[in-house]
Amino acid sequence: MQYIRSYAFLVTLAIALYAAYSFVPPPGAGYRTLRIGHYVGVNNSAWTGYLTAMMSSIYISAIGLFLINSNIKRDIDTGVGMIIATTSISNFHYLLTKALSNFMVLLSIMGIIMLMSMAVFMLRDGVYPFEMSQFILPFLFITIPSLFFISAFAVAAEVFLYRSSVWMNTACLGLLIAAMVMHTNVHSNIDFFGVKAVTMTMQHNLIAANPGIHPEVSMGFIFSKKNNLIAFTFEGIQWSALFLLNRLFWMCAGLLLIIVSSRFFHRFDISPIVKKQKKTSSDLFIPKASQIKDIKLSLLPHIKPSFGIIPLIKTEFLLLVRKGPRWLWLVNLGGMIALIFSPLTFAHQFILPVLWFLQAGRWSDLSTKEKTNNIHYFSYASYKPLTRLFSAQLIAGILLSLLLASPLLLRYLIGMQFLSAGMIFIGALFIVLAAAFLGLLTGGKKLFEILFFLCVYSNVNSVPFTDYFGALNHSTVYVMDMLIATVCLALFSFQWRKLEMKRL
Amino acid sequence: MKLQIQQVSKKYNKEKYGLKDFSLSIENGILGLLGPNGAGKSTLMKIISTISRPSSGTVDLDGHDILQNPDYIRSMLGYLPQDFGVYANLNAYEFLEYIAAMKGVGGPGLKGRIEGLLEGLNLIASAKAPIGTYSGGMKQRVGIAQALLNDPKVLIFDEPTVGLDPEERMRFRNLIADLAQNCIIILSSHIVSDIETIADQVAIMKSGQLITTGTQADLIQQAEGKVFEVLMNNEDLAAFKTKYQVVNTMRYKDQLKIRYMSNDPIHGSIPIIASLEDAYLYLTHQ
Repeated sequence: MQYIRSYAFLVTLAIALYAAYSFVPPPGAGYRTLRIGHYVGVNNSAWTGYLTAMMSSIYISAIGLFLINSNIKRDIDTGVGMIIATTSISNFHYLLTKALSNFMVLLSIMGIIMLMSMAVFMLRDGVYPFEMSQFILPFLFITIPSLFFISAFAVAAEVFLYRSSVWMNTACLGLLIAAMVMHTNVHSNIDFFGVKAVTMTMQHNLIAANPGIHPEVSMGFIFSKKNNLIAFTFEGIQWSALFLLNRLFWMCAGLLLIIVSSRFFHRFDISPIVKKQKKTSSDLFIPKASQIKDIKLSLLPHIKPSFGIIPLIKTEFLLLVRKGPRWLWLVNLGGMIALIFSPLTFAHQFILPVLWFLQAGRWSDLSTKEKTNNIHYFSYASYKPLTRLFSAQLIAGILLSLLLASPLLLRYLIGMQFLSAGMIFIGALFIVLAAAFLGLLTGGKKLFEILFFLCVYSNVNSVPFTDYFGALNHSTVYVMDMLIATVCLALFSFQWRKLEMKRL
Repeated sequence: MKLQIQQVSKKYNKEKYGLKDFSLSIENGILGLLGPNGAGKSTLMKIISTISRPSSGTVDLDGHDILQNPDYIRSMLGYLPQDFGVYANLNAYEFLEYIAAMKGVGGPGLKGRIEGLLEGLNLIASAKAPIGTYSGGMKQRVGIAQALLNDPKVLIFDEPTVGLDPEERMRFRNLIADLAQNCIIILSSHIVSDIETIADQVAIMKSGQLITTGTQADLIQQAEGKVFEVLMNNEDLAAFKTKYQVVNTMRYKDQLKIRYMSNDPIHGSIPIIASLEDAYLYLTHQ
C-alpha cells in the first residue's frame, strides 16, 4: 500500500499504460515487438493477448525487479524493522509478506497493462472478435509465474546482499541477463519468462504451413523498415501439462527462495556487521567529561560574504565521487582507458553508454538527496538555493559525465569531429538533467534508474530513438532536437524545484 | 534587531492548522518556546527560517518582509532543525565548508572559524572522520557548529539539547546566553529547565496558537497560589487524578507526596511556590 499510494507509482502506471499501447504496434508502425522471420501475426485477440502477456512477462520482470528491490531496506531505514523484530512473526512469514507485497505491486502494473491491451484492441479496429480468454489465460500462465518469482528473488537479494545496493543491482541485472540468454538460446530448455513455448508453437505452425522456410524468432522492440512482412493468423496455443508444470516450477522456486532466505535473514540485527565494516568515531575518540567547551564567537576569525558557487560545486562533485563502492572507480578507469584504445564507433556506441550507466546510482538522487538525507532544512534556508545550490548540483553531475567521456571527447576533438563531440557534450547534459528532472518529478530515484537501464539496453541494441549521445544519429537536425530537449529538461527542472520550494 | 510576526497562519487543509493567527514581537535576547507536541513550535521556526511559507500573515525583520525577500534573513540566519541529517560521506570539516558555501560566507577567516568551532565543540579530533561514523551527540554538535558558522544575527534552535548529556546541556546554555547580547535567539525545548535558566521571554503555544507570552516571572505569576503538595496513600492516587491535575509524584516514606494544581485544594495540602514548569502545565491544561 505504501508504494501504491506514492506519486512514483502513478508515474510507473502512466509508463505501464504507454507500454501496453506500444507492446502491440499498429500495422503501420515503424517497429515490431515479435517477428517470426518475415512473418507477423494479424492483430486478433490471440496475437494481442499473447504478445502483451509475453512482453509484460519480460519487461515487468526487468523493470519491476528494480522497482521492488528495497522493500526490506525501507523497514531498516524507517526503524519499523526493529519493531517487527520484536513481534512473534516468523522470518518466513515476514519474508513471504514482503514477497507478496512486491507481487501485488507488479500485479497491479500487469492488471493495468492487461486492461489497456483489451481497450486498445477494441478501439484500434473491429475486424477481429474480442475473446476474453485469449487475454486472461496468457497473463495467468505466462506473466503471473514470472512476476511471482521476481518478487521472491527481490526479497532474497535483499536478504543476502542488503549491505551493498550495487551488488544487489548487479545480482538483479545478472538474473535478467541469464533469463534473456536462456530465452534466446534455442538449445536451452529453461524458459523463465514462459515465452519460448508460445514462440516455438508459432514457429512450428509457420513451418508446417510453409514447408522449406526456417524463420527465426525476434522479440523486443525491433525497429526496421521492412515492408515485405507477411501476415499470419495465430489462434493461441494448447496449454499443455508440461508447460503448466514448468510455470508452477518457477513459482515453487520462488517459494523455495523465500524459505532458504528465511534461514539466513538478519531479522534487523545488523549493527554487529556494520561495526565490523567501519570503526566509529566514538571508538577513535574517547569522550571527555565536558564535550562542549566555552566558545567565544567574537574571538573566532571573521568571515566575509562569498556568493560564488565553486565551493558548492566542489563539495557536490566530492559527494558524487565518494558515492558507491570504491572498486567501481577501477571499473570506471578501465572504461575510460577502453574509450582511448577501442575503435571510435565501438567506444561511442557501446562503451560510453555502459560507462555512464554505471554512474546511475550517483546521478539518480541528484535532486532528491537533500530530502533523503534530511539536509533540506539547511539547503532550503541557504542563500539563493535555486540559482546557487541547485545549479551547483547539476554542474557537478555534468562534470562527472564529461570527465568519464573525456577520452572520447578528446579523440573527436583531435580528429576535428566537432559534431560527434558536441553530441557527447549534449548527451552528458541530457542524462544528468533527466536524472534531476525525474527525481524532482517522482521524489525518488527508481524511475530514472529503470528508464536509464532500458535506455542503455536500447543503446547497445542500436535503437536510434534512445540515442541521446549521438552514436547513431549524426545530423545537425538531430543535434538541434537533442539540444532543445535538453534545454526543456533544464527549464522544467528549475521550475519544478522553484515550485517545490514554494510549496513547503 | 526586531522580528515581528503578525497574524501568521499555516493551513494544511480545511480544518487543520499548523499555526493559527500567531502574532509575536521578538527583540535581541532569548525567546523560549514551550508547548506540547503538535503545538506548532517547529512550524513557526520553519516559517521564520524561510523553509516553510505561511498561508497568511507577515514576518518582518527590521522592517524587511522576509516572506517576500527570504535572502535578507538567510544571510544572517543560524538554524538548527529538530531532525536534521548529514551527508555521511563528508567529514565534519568538509560538511561545514559546504554549509558555509550554502550560506554565502567564506574568505580567509573561514578555515580558522571552522577549526575554532570544531575545537570549541570538541570535534577537532574526529574532524577528518566521515560524519556517518559519529554518535548522535557528535552529530548534534556538528549541527550546532553549522548554526554558528556565519556569525548569525538570528539563531533558531529547535530542540537543541537532544542527544547532549547534562553537562553538555549546561555548556550549551552558557554558550547561547553569551550570544544573546547581540542577536535574536529562538529556542524550543520540551525540557522546561533548558528554557527556565536562560530565556528572557517565554511563549507558550498549544494547538497552533499562542496561549501567552511574557517574562518567566509573568508566567509563573499566573500559576501562583495554585500549586500544592499533599501526602496520600498509593490506592487513593487514581481517584485523585480524575479530579486534579497532578504535576509530580514522589515516594515519601510509606506514602506518596503529590504535587498538584488546583483552585480548590483538598484538606491537608501545603501551598508551594510555582515554577515555570508548573505555569506551563497549568496554562496548557486550562
